[in-house]
Amino acid sequence: MSLPVAARIARRELRGGLRGFYVFLACLALGVAAIAAVGSVRESIESGLTREGAVLLGGDAEMTLTYRFASDEERAWMEGVSDALSEVVDFRSMVAVVRDGETERGLTQVKAVDDAYPLYGAVALDPPLPLDQAIAGNGAVMERVLADRLGLKPGDSFRLGTADYTLSAVLAREPDGAGDGFGLGPRLILRTAALEPSGLLAPGTLYEVKYRLKLPPGHDIAALEREAGTRFADRGMRWRDARNGAPGMTRFVDRMASFLVLVGLAGLAVGGVGVSAAVRSYIDGKTEVIATLKTLGAEGCTILAAYLMQIGVLAGLGIGLGLVLGAVLPLAAGPLIEPRLPVPADFTVHARPLAEAAVYGVLTALLFTLWPLARTEEVRAAALFRDASGRVRAWPRPRYVAATTGLALLLIGVAAAFSGVPKLALWAAAGILGALGLLVLAAAALRLIARRAARARALRGRTALRLAMGAVGGPGGETQSVVLSLGLGLSILAAIGQIDWNLRSAIQQDLPDRAPSYFVVDIQPGQLDGFLQRLNRDPGVSRVETAPMMRGVITRINGRPAREVAGDHWVVTGDRGVTYAAEPPENTVVTDGLWWPSDYDGPPQISFAREEAEEIGLKLGDEITVNILGRDITATVTSFREVDFSTAGIGFVMTMDPAAVQGAPHTHIATIYADPSAEAAILRDLASAYPNITAIRVKDAIDRVAEVLAGLAAAIAYGASATLVTGVIVLIGAAAAGQRTRIFEAAVLKTVGAVRGQILAYFALRSAMLGAAAGAVAILAGGIAGWAVMRFVMEGSYRFEPVSALAIVLGGALATLIAGLVFAWRPLAARPARVLRARE
Amino acid sequence: MADPILSLSDVTLTLDGNAGPVEILHGISLDVTPGETLGLVGPSGSGKSSLLMLMGGLERATSGRVLALDRDLTAMNEDQLARFRREHMGVVFQSFHLIPTMTALENVATPLELAGHRDAFERAADELRTVGLGARMDHYPSQMSGGEQQRVALARAAAPRPHLLLADEPTGNLDGANGAAIMDLLFGLRDRHGATLVLVTHAPDLAARCDRVIELADGRIAGQTARRAAE
Repeated sequence: MSLPVAARIARRELRGGLRGFYVFLACLALGVAAIAAVGSVRESIESGLTREGAVLLGGDAEMTLTYRFASDEERAWMEGVSDALSEVVDFRSMVAVVRDGETERGLTQVKAVDDAYPLYGAVALDPPLPLDQAIAGNGAVMERVLADRLGLKPGDSFRLGTADYTLSAVLAREPDGAGDGFGLGPRLILRTAALEPSGLLAPGTLYEVKYRLKLPPGHDIAALEREAGTRFADRGMRWRDARNGAPGMTRFVDRMASFLVLVGLAGLAVGGVGVSAAVRSYIDGKTEVIATLKTLGAEGCTILAAYLMQIGVLAGLGIGLGLVLGAVLPLAAGPLIEPRLPVPADFTVHARPLAEAAVYGVLTALLFTLWPLARTEEVRAAALFRDASGRVRAWPRPRYVAATTGLALLLIGVAAAFSGVPKLALWAAAGILGALGLLVLAAAALRLIARRAARARALRGRTALRLAMGAVGGPGGETQSVVLSLGLGLSILAAIGQIDWNLRSAIQQDLPDRAPSYFVVDIQPGQLDGFLQRLNRDPGVSRVETAPMMRGVITRINGRPAREVAGDHWVVTGDRGVTYAAEPPENTVVTDGLWWPSDYDGPPQISFAREEAEEIGLKLGDEITVNILGRDITATVTSFREVDFSTAGIGFVMTMDPAAVQGAPHTHIATIYADPSAEAAILRDLASAYPNITAIRVKDAIDRVAEVLAGLAAAIAYGASATLVTGVIVLIGAAAAGQRTRIFEAAVLKTVGAVRGQILAYFALRSAMLGAAAGAVAILAGGIAGWAVMRFVMEGSYRFEPVSALAIVLGGALATLIAGLVFAWRPLAARPARVLRARE
Repeated sequence: MADPILSLSDVTLTLDGNAGPVEILHGISLDVTPGETLGLVGPSGSGKSSLLMLMGGLERATSGRVLALDRDLTAMNEDQLARFRREHMGVVFQSFHLIPTMTALENVATPLELAGHRDAFERAADELRTVGLGARMDHYPSQMSGGEQQRVALARAAAPRPHLLLADEPTGNLDGANGAAIMDLLFGLRDRHGATLVLVTHAPDLAARCDRVIELADGRIAGQTARRAAE
């Protein structure tokens, strides 16, 4: 093989320009641009989060305690290592407003602060008062959504627990808002000192105290974290620092972007089908050139190298175009997006996402062009003398099959590495490959069925339909590329439609049927009897469940640090609810081990949720150390239980024997299952009698989750629409590529007596059949994906959603029909004599 | 003498070329009688194929009149021409022009279906057997040799029993043996169905089998030879 010769041949061939390669370029550019744009936005947000880490966190470092304030010793250490220290108390409560004898209540997330708050950034208020002034004395500020809900304006009074406060201003922006994560209620800020009369921080009440540290310049944050870990790890103190000021937000942006990149990859796969078809058609058109070169003595590998170089240059052009688009679009949209983001973002050109998108582009281009390029080796010099195009083997030589397989595996590996969520990437790859496999089979089946149908007696006399069947089922044609490209795009939309509908119906319809009306926290032990009496005599209440609850952090498992054993499992990453019970609560299913005797008084024992235990790798007899209120309790796992968290009822990962936590201050939680008509009166009576408790209306929480979910579904649908646009480009490419054939067919049909209406009907039927078939397969693939996600990821049930499914079939048929008809005008208008003589 | 089945009066054809309009045919007038076999000969570019296309309504004359079976082809629109062809004409091309996505049987049945024949497939099968392709009915054009493809094209043209058979160099792409076989078939079909045959050819032996031969040069009739009586 001579590479210089191949390069010279490639250069000469490239003089032909880009004609025939517009779809190739558009497919690659669009796919790369989508991935680069998503990656750039992610990088911009993450860079903003890093830059503003201290502001988002509220300090250079933060140490959190549950249920308690820091001891003098702990505080002394924090003051010793920092330039400034701020103490923030965070808990849920209910704001009450009495108006015309009626009390209105709203859930809120209270942030009680000291004079040092905020260490970084500034609180913005409306009217623009300084925070110190706004929350002086019994002054407070709250988010507009809560003030509006309760009809409050600055100067009005409201009640929190058993104390009254005055709303001084509306909270427009809190600098550390994004770092606090997902809250069920809108924010309210007041002074910690002003909380005293509210009675809300009684022993056992659920609250967190966060100590924010402003560290001296040149501090070694990693060393400080290690020191804090050594000193306080066993006291239930949790550490966060400005290196990742909003871990929840970072994780969310990361996951979301990874998912969107995978959707973008699917788009690139759709584009790959178009790229492959374009190269195939180009190589077919070059049969004579290749045969001539072979006649002149060119070896197969020289010719392959020449065409690989040409396609490489064009692919480079497409990828470059995509990278420019992917870099410029977020830059251009940045000023519009940034004010709407809850987090800071640095919209600039980021190299890493562009490099990643380029790697994806190169691998996809290679993956989808190698197979058609390998056909150059199959062309014989004899093709010059007789039409040998129909005799090219369907499968290239084994080395190309192996190279293609290797490239596919490499692409999957790269996606797994780049996305940071290898499992999701592998599942997505399996899904895309599965859908492609299904579509290849479907295209083959469609051709077979159409071929049979074209010969069926039933279709005789129905010329347009029979011609359409013949064209769909016949050799060559666009059946495979249209079904593959449009089908894959529609499959992704169908899967998103099915998953979105199932999730929403699970959360908005199924869950409210099973979920309680209220979830009540902070019921003091002395309040429990009165609380239950009120509910038990209410005919509107069907069921009440209560359980004692305290919060604890798992610090050690079998003597080793818990994070070392269980990694980032959610059970060990924060504080968890712990309960105690002498006997197994009603409906408890012990799957393994034995529950302690009801009068047990020996060494502490613990019953652990079965599924979570399996995930962490716990077995009976293991020892777990839980830090509750600064006290370590080491208990032996003696049983595993089934716990269903999907019903929004009471479910604890850990239940201890009563003696183990004897004397620990705690409160009770309750779930109330009531008739909707009785809900308002229950809330009124309970909140009036026990102002310290917090009742969360489960339906409101569900609505909040559904809102977030709707936003996610919309973002993913936007991502998927890029895939569909690529699918439509491939479709248009296939229709355009087929135009020459259609012009010829129309000419022959006119010659043998077909009128234009019949030819148009034939073209329309042929297009619509392909689109409908792609849509039908998409529903099957989308349904399977939806079922798999609901069954294995969400562990829920799956129901087929027919409306979006029908829209997808119709959409597919309509898209191909329009593309087909747009490209039908020239064939219909062409004069047969000129068309046919041009082919003589 | 019977009324002509085809009558051309002062027909001209001008096409748009890259360098401006190109005059292909200049004032052609001729009559073709029913049952006659007319050969059109002449050097390449003389306009013989264009003349054949005008006769079939596949090309529109720039001026003049083309009458076929007393119908003015120049006054018909595309669809009227298509209907006229399916009722009265069969056309055979040098490059066969079979539809590649259809089998041999489907290619032959298509004009019969378009003409509304309920027995289109039975008649198409009979026609294919007549041209010796009874065993290749389900084959696609790409699976057949050139000679076989031209036989399918012949069957397709003859199946609707047209009054007029137009053939544009039907043996031009075939070797000698295949070409001779195709010509035997073409003349056999014409004899069997009593159709009028207009044939464009370069082959002197083929022209010799025609009743009359018209020679074209530079888009004009340069000469005419009657080999034998048309009756």
